[in-house]
Amino acid sequence: MVPYVLAGEGVALGIRIGIDIGGTFTDLQILDEGTGALHSLKTPTTPDDPSRGLIDGIDAAAARFGFAISDVRLLLHGTTIATNAVLERRLPRGVLLTTAGFRDVLEIGRHARRDIYGLRGGREPPLIPRDRRVEVAERTRAGGSIEHALLPGAIAAALAAVDVLAADAVAIALLHACANPAHELALANALRTARPGLPVSVSSEVSPELREYERTSTCVLNALLMPVVGGYLRQLEARLAARGMRARLLLVQSNGGVCSAAQAAAQPVRLLLSGPSGGALAARDAAARLGRQDLVGIDMGGTSFDVCVVAGGRLTLVTQGEVDGLPVRLPMVEIRTIGAGGGSVAAVEAGRLLVGPRSAGARPGPACYGHGGAEPTVTDANLVLGRLDPVSFLGGQMRLDGAAARAAVQSRVAGPLGLSIEAAAEGILAVTNASLAAAIRLSLFEKGLDPRSFALLSFGGAGGLHATAVADELGVTEVAFPPDASTFSAWGILQSDIVHDLARGRLLRAGPGCLPALVEMAASLRAQAAALLTADGVPAEDRAMPLSADLRYAGQAFELVVPWGDVEPDAGTLAALLDGFHALHRQRFSYANPADPVEIVTLRLTAIGRLPRPPTVRDAAAGQGGAPASRPVYLGGAWQDVPVHRRSHLPATVHGPALIEEDYTTVLLGAGWSCGPDLVARRG
Amino acid sequence: MGPVELEILRNGLTAAAAEMDATVWRTSRSTVVRELLDYSTAVFDRDGFNVAQSARIPQHLGSMGAGLQTVARDFLPLDGWEDGDVVITNDPYCGGQHIPDILAFRAVFVDGRRIAVVGTLCHHLDMGGMAAGSYAANATEVFQEGLRIPPVRLLRRGVMNQELLATMRQNVRRPDMLWGDLQAQLASLVVGENNLHRLAARHGASGLVEGCIQLLDGSAAAMRGVIARMPDGRYEFEDFLDDDGITATPIRIHAAVTIAGEAMTVDLSGCGPQALGPVNATLASSGSAIAYAVLAVADVPVPPNAGCMRPIQVIAPEGLVVSARHPAPVANRIAATHRLATTLLGALAQAVPDRVPAAYYGASYVCSFQTIGAGGARGVLVEIEVGGGGGHPLEDGPNAWSCGMHNNASIPVEMIEGETIDGDVPLTILRYALRPGSGGAGRHRGGLGLVREWRVDCPAAVFTANAERFRFAPYGLAGGGPGATGRLTLVRDGAETALGSKVGNLRLQQGDVIRLETSGGGGFGDPAARDADATAQDATQGYTD
Repeated sequence: MVPYVLAGEGVALGIRIGIDIGGTFTDLQILDEGTGALHSLKTPTTPDDPSRGLIDGIDAAAARFGFAISDVRLLLHGTTIATNAVLERRLPRGVLLTTAGFRDVLEIGRHARRDIYGLRGGREPPLIPRDRRVEVAERTRAGGSIEHALLPGAIAAALAAVDVLAADAVAIALLHACANPAHELALANALRTARPGLPVSVSSEVSPELREYERTSTCVLNALLMPVVGGYLRQLEARLAARGMRARLLLVQSNGGVCSAAQAAAQPVRLLLSGPSGGALAARDAAARLGRQDLVGIDMGGTSFDVCVVAGGRLTLVTQGEVDGLPVRLPMVEIRTIGAGGGSVAAVEAGRLLVGPRSAGARPGPACYGHGGAEPTVTDANLVLGRLDPVSFLGGQMRLDGAAARAAVQSRVAGPLGLSIEAAAEGILAVTNASLAAAIRLSLFEKGLDPRSFALLSFGGAGGLHATAVADELGVTEVAFPPDASTFSAWGILQSDIVHDLARGRLLRAGPGCLPALVEMAASLRAQAAALLTADGVPAEDRAMPLSADLRYAGQAFELVVPWGDVEPDAGTLAALLDGFHALHRQRFSYANPADPVEIVTLRLTAIGRLPRPPTVRDAAAGQGGAPASRPVYLGGAWQDVPVHRRSHLPATVHGPALIEEDYTTVLLGAGWSCGPDLVARRG
Repeated sequence: MGPVELEILRNGLTAAAAEMDATVWRTSRSTVVRELLDYSTAVFDRDGFNVAQSARIPQHLGSMGAGLQTVARDFLPLDGWEDGDVVITNDPYCGGQHIPDILAFRAVFVDGRRIAVVGTLCHHLDMGGMAAGSYAANATEVFQEGLRIPPVRLLRRGVMNQELLATMRQNVRRPDMLWGDLQAQLASLVVGENNLHRLAARHGASGLVEGCIQLLDGSAAAMRGVIARMPDGRYEFEDFLDDDGITATPIRIHAAVTIAGEAMTVDLSGCGPQALGPVNATLASSGSAIAYAVLAVADVPVPPNAGCMRPIQVIAPEGLVVSARHPAPVANRIAATHRLATTLLGALAQAVPDRVPAAYYGASYVCSFQTIGAGGARGVLVEIEVGGGGGHPLEDGPNAWSCGMHNNASIPVEMIEGETIDGDVPLTILRYALRPGSGGAGRHRGGLGLVREWRVDCPAAVFTANAERFRFAPYGLAGGGPGATGRLTLVRDGAETALGSKVGNLRLQQGDVIRLETSGGGGFGDPAARDADATAQDATQGYTD
């Protein structure tokens, strides 16, 4: 495979493809770098082997938009393969090597429960069972000194155990490996030498941060995903090569950047949020295009509602996330997910109207799908109130059963609560919209941000009917509905850069005494970053290497990530970093203690390789004038005749209430809102 | 308020408690709060009745409301609270629970009218007294247990009472941690207040006040339904506390639960008299165990708030171990409430046997170390560990899992050993492991307890422990066996010495090792009926001996 030349004189331009593989559809956005022409395409996902659907999509796109497979220069790929493998526990047989006395750290975890009045459940079996967790005679101390040296006999014993246990992948997570990784690396070297080809994941390489359970969990996930993701990528690359594809393949990571296939295979745990990251990237790009520094992206589909935040023009990241209750200690785009979507079930329990998090899923689905679902869902409520058209749903592919929706709402909600069908359906939507607003507010609250200064960006199939109502809940006055909302994530993927997140965890008291350590850490991170970007083929002028640091007041558990920029650690820049910390602490938590001692827990470097951004020209919408249709919609307690526009036929100004339909989504412009053909809605 | 708006209000109040919770966690300083997660947040209606809770600690949540009621009734009537006042107390006999827990409340006003109260409770690292962590195992009066703060205003109209703060700081072992965690509580109250203002703007101040009353009525009605669906009858159960740390006499915990239609009576008259040592609970603390047990066995989820307790009458004469009278010591009050919870669950298991698991470990294993460095530098570490959950009618009990009255996370070894950045680490954790064979046998096995070992690496240390279940094992149900009893061992120069479940100010020297082994849960059902694959798996995993 020929490496993609990222920049430079005389570089031939070609086709760039962004691909987002979802549960139902594989979405493609295709950019002709020479002409800027942009196309989109949807093709069914092939869950047994997602690379098949991907190839099918590329073939179809090549035929429809007239390019040769060999013209494709860059393939940017968002994937849920890692996430799904974890959710479905389709993981290989792993072995964990740990410090003597601590093999149960993975199983004990932090042992706090979430359902405080529950008497059962809550404890999932560990990803590596106890009989495959092997203790190694060694001990490093907190400061990095060695209490119990790792002797050759202990290494040999560990190797023997790995063989006896028939490991398909090995995780190595030793205590205090952040302070001194020597023992981890000695074990890893021995394994890699003696058992070439056996996937080995090392905690100090994958997640070099304090807190042994979280680091071990991350390392174990990485080990178990190495065969899964590695196998997928090998198969995909072989298929692409067989089709004559010469493109460079880059994978979308949880941090919103892309990385090489080799890097993805070595650290697949970084792909766990690859799927939703595409949407977040698209939200960031949309914010720039709208000229908004502050924007909340909301993606509402059938089962879930995802929130991401662009603040000051940048996506907000967190340093730790979790997948299915398993902590992942790595930087990732902050995406808050709640179980609220079109399929969320409404029910009355003990006199309360509950909506979600239970979902009717695709089967039986909402009552109106006619697959035997008897419980009312959010989609049923929207249909009952005339907000959805039973005939044109999903571009007319599925006819909705209004009578079934009414019957479900009547029997399960309206009857028990003594409400009319319409009032019950409105109630379902009101409870849903308040939950959506609360999720957004929580995402912003945690950063000390005020929702009223933000715009909303609504994408995903189900969000259009709720977005202006949610905005009203929040006091937000601008809501943008991007075109091609259903392939929006793939669009975002097209806009990504290469990003490597590097970190060194070490507890330091911020002051003149820590500068030599910081200088050494920064230099080593920069050297590591330069090597990675060189391997990626990124020319010097397209590189950026900003530092940031995790700071806290001495004793706090929670660190704030403070941007530091591309600076040399010295007295002046350290003072600026501390000023930034106090200010951020005050913004988020309402107070700061500038006189108190501050600790540095982690130094971070983000190695960015910017990919060139050719200008783009979208497919022209096949628009032509024409009077809107209309239909009765129940709004604010009464039926009223509401105009129904096609998105491709929008007049200069539309005043709410109005419905605007596309093939895969419908927008309800609430009363008091108006928009133009760009479908950026404003209040008042 | 209609059912739709009411549900929106309920979710808004719960979100307020959750945002307050996040604020405490992110800004707190001591390991007790930030890693153990020993704190709670809640919202109360304008009269001080709890309407919404964070998902933290049942022991706190079930009695913060009673605490606020006591404060308002006997000390500082709510009508005298002004905007910007923050009222605090840690006095067990004035609305608190035990000395380390500081409750902080703030009333929320709209146009001069009080519409709600927001509150936080944090377990502080140390509040002074005869043992580090204010968790003396051998106190005989509350006066020995630490600094007592009656209900007073820490802030008056937004202005800090610096003299009170200075007095508090002067009396504790780590004033920096006290101040750091107090600031977290204050920041959390501001977040709660902002949320309530927003909710008042949405629902109207009067709407919010009336909605809160409806929420309480709704939970009371739901709880009446829960009780009505249980078979009428009188269900008795008894269990025992090992001892009080001063004398060796076991202490009886007895409950007679009578269900008659939609009413429940809990008669605690059969409990032993209040103890000499600190295993006593005030009746307010004990109320948490009752609230926990009925919410846990409910057949439908009932939104937890003060309304839940209305259908339940409690009979408990003053002066029992579950209704202690001043000045009985109460540091280890959770010993009594854990045992009361397992006793109530044992009684309710007779009414609804398909819903109740065998006994969980039933103790907060509180181990505190005061380390004394070569230069005299003092450090304090408080750890609270857990054991195994009881086997359930439908599944095995969970291994090493927070159950019942508390809900603590473990403290990472790397955080404990990394606490001292510059100097030597005074304590080293040698082992953190499951305890094979500790789960009670049964068709569904009890969960395993755990083992934790600390080594003293500084010249001297003082060790205090408040544990339980060293003599009376967690019971099995339906033919299941009991979980293993717990153990504390001192290892010095290779020789092992068994310690009791209560250890008061034991002097340790460099190289000493303390080993804690916690109880597993009881088993459920006949062990002979256990699935053969499950038995084989127990052996493969080393879960059984």
